[in-house]
Amino acid sequence: MASEPILRVEEVRKWFPVRSGLFSFRGGQKYVKAVDNVSFNIEKGASIAIAGESGCGKTTLARTILRLIKPSGGAAYFKDENIFEMNRLELNELRLKMQIIFQNPFEVLDPRHTVIDLVGEGLNIHKLEESDEVLHDKVISALEDVRLVPAEDFATRYTHELSGGQLQRIAIARSLILKPELIIADEPVSMLDASIRTEVMNLMTDLQKEKDLTYIFITHDLAQARYVGDYLIIMYLGRIAEMGPMEDVIQSPQHPYTKALVSNIPIPDPTIERERIMLPGETPTPIDLPPGCRFKPRCQEFGAQCKPDEPQLQEVADGHFVACWFD
Amino acid sequence: MASNDPVLQVKDLATYYYLGDKELKAVDGVSFDISARRTLGLAGESGCGKTTTAYSIMRILAENGKIARGSINLGGVELTELSDEEMRQLRWKKASIVFQYAMNAFNPVLRIGKQIVEVIQEKDDFSQDEAVQIVNDLFDEVGLKPERQTDYPHEFSGGMLQRAIIAQALACDPQLIIADEPVTALDVIVQNKILDLLRKLQDKYNLAVLFITHDLSVVAENCHDVGIMYAGNLVEWGTAEDVFKRSVHPYSYKLIGAFPSVVGPKKRLEFIPGSPPNLLSIPKGCRFHPRCPFAQARCETDVPEYTEVTDGHFAKCHFAGELDLGGGA
Repeated sequence: MASEPILRVEEVRKWFPVRSGLFSFRGGQKYVKAVDNVSFNIEKGASIAIAGESGCGKTTLARTILRLIKPSGGAAYFKDENIFEMNRLELNELRLKMQIIFQNPFEVLDPRHTVIDLVGEGLNIHKLEESDEVLHDKVISALEDVRLVPAEDFATRYTHELSGGQLQRIAIARSLILKPELIIADEPVSMLDASIRTEVMNLMTDLQKEKDLTYIFITHDLAQARYVGDYLIIMYLGRIAEMGPMEDVIQSPQHPYTKALVSNIPIPDPTIERERIMLPGETPTPIDLPPGCRFKPRCQEFGAQCKPDEPQLQEVADGHFVACWFD
Repeated sequence: MASNDPVLQVKDLATYYYLGDKELKAVDGVSFDISARRTLGLAGESGCGKTTTAYSIMRILAENGKIARGSINLGGVELTELSDEEMRQLRWKKASIVFQYAMNAFNPVLRIGKQIVEVIQEKDDFSQDEAVQIVNDLFDEVGLKPERQTDYPHEFSGGMLQRAIIAQALACDPQLIIADEPVTALDVIVQNKILDLLRKLQDKYNLAVLFITHDLSVVAENCHDVGIMYAGNLVEWGTAEDVFKRSVHPYSYKLIGAFPSVVGPKKRLEFIPGSPPNLLSIPKGCRFHPRCPFAQARCETDVPEYTEVTDGHFAKCHFAGELDLGGGA
């Protein structure tokens, strides 16, 4: 590996206990295994996309890594420091370096504040502001970074005066002002119209180069994932089904689930006909999973080669891992 | 069916919303038609008027919305001239609509089967048993187990609810189905299953389908014809191949170019600078001119005509057919 990983995720678990009826003690406590033993590394400067259908655990994984929710097990190291063992002060420090951007900027930004307050809020919370002038200058420069110019003009506006794309850029500026090293973006463009979506994705790609950022980009849309990421992780029911360099996974998927997912992504070109792989049924809830491979009930390639226990990730090509008994 | 006459003909439709003393021209001069067994995908950014067009056809506009002019002809009936009661009779029987949020379309405290039986009995003279039998058949048709009629909406997954809605839409044998973002809330695999189902039913029942979505990738794969809307205007209309591969309106061309794909080389996409206009202060001349890279002086003053550029391929641009939009044939 060329450089040190900036983030090492090891066997991370997040199990949510299921509350059931009065006699639930009979069957023992049940869990929704939203994230179940997930491990991966991210090198500095990389942009990895985590993709999968609703309920695959991609958002829960991101929140667990940031400790926005309490992990059930495993470890996540940000530059050799275990995030899961940090105390409050250390966590505060960490959150300067690891920022998250959410899907819906309308919910994130308080409508009673002006842009300058919203963007500067992080500096105030972390008590980093020196003086009003310095704060002002930093906000202006953050707004210029996200191409909201003239920045002085945007600084005094309220959220209702801005479009969805502009709001999302303000959410990005809020993160950037803290000079983070790693940004987790959870479906950052899913609420936006196509053209604005591309504008924001281009901006994020440019900022990555300018600011030497590392991205974790969470999305359900593989076309988006391919556009912004250089490495792809496909999750199914709380586990990694396949991961590898973006083009390897998209062009030659190995896991039957990835194959189906990729074949179902619509292509904006009516002259391209592709064969779609249809999966029976719908994704179940990760409670009472079948023993062995959790994709088994829907798998089109299930057969004698499938062993009774859970398949582990195996390297099939350089940096390309697949959790499947099929080879 | 022998005739090739369009099932739905919309001519110069204009729908305005009234906000106090202001007039918001949500749809302004939209013309298209759809034949049996054809799907028209109506696409555009939020606020372009695609849903208002659909609601105008069904006459289910909000109270402050009025059809200001134009004609909507469905199977020979002029919908704009019908009374509210006549229109009520016609909904479900001639045209039905499938909404985006399937979870909100059913009453949560009534069994799903009963809700469809209600529609059938309201519109047609069937006994309870006959209606239940129809729902049985419909459920079978859309890939649901007939015994699940007695379930409540919360017992269905998103995909199953969407199937139930489609069953309901088909219950009274309509000629036209309007699908307003029918799969937007679903995951891709389920999404394609629903779209395949719609296609299969369309062939079987000779349906005309108006498919409304913001996602051009879904349009490319599922629609025969495409209409692109911008700021209340239909700016381009033609077959999917014409619009995608031989775009003649700069807006369609740019919008299509903003969609990433999982096939082909990975390249940096272009976006359209700026955002769509506020419909309360529409730019003079061509509505797209402030964002158009090809705009000339004339575009700022003259409203372009909606003209047929090649056979069945219409556009609302002064320079339609003259611009080199790179796409080529």
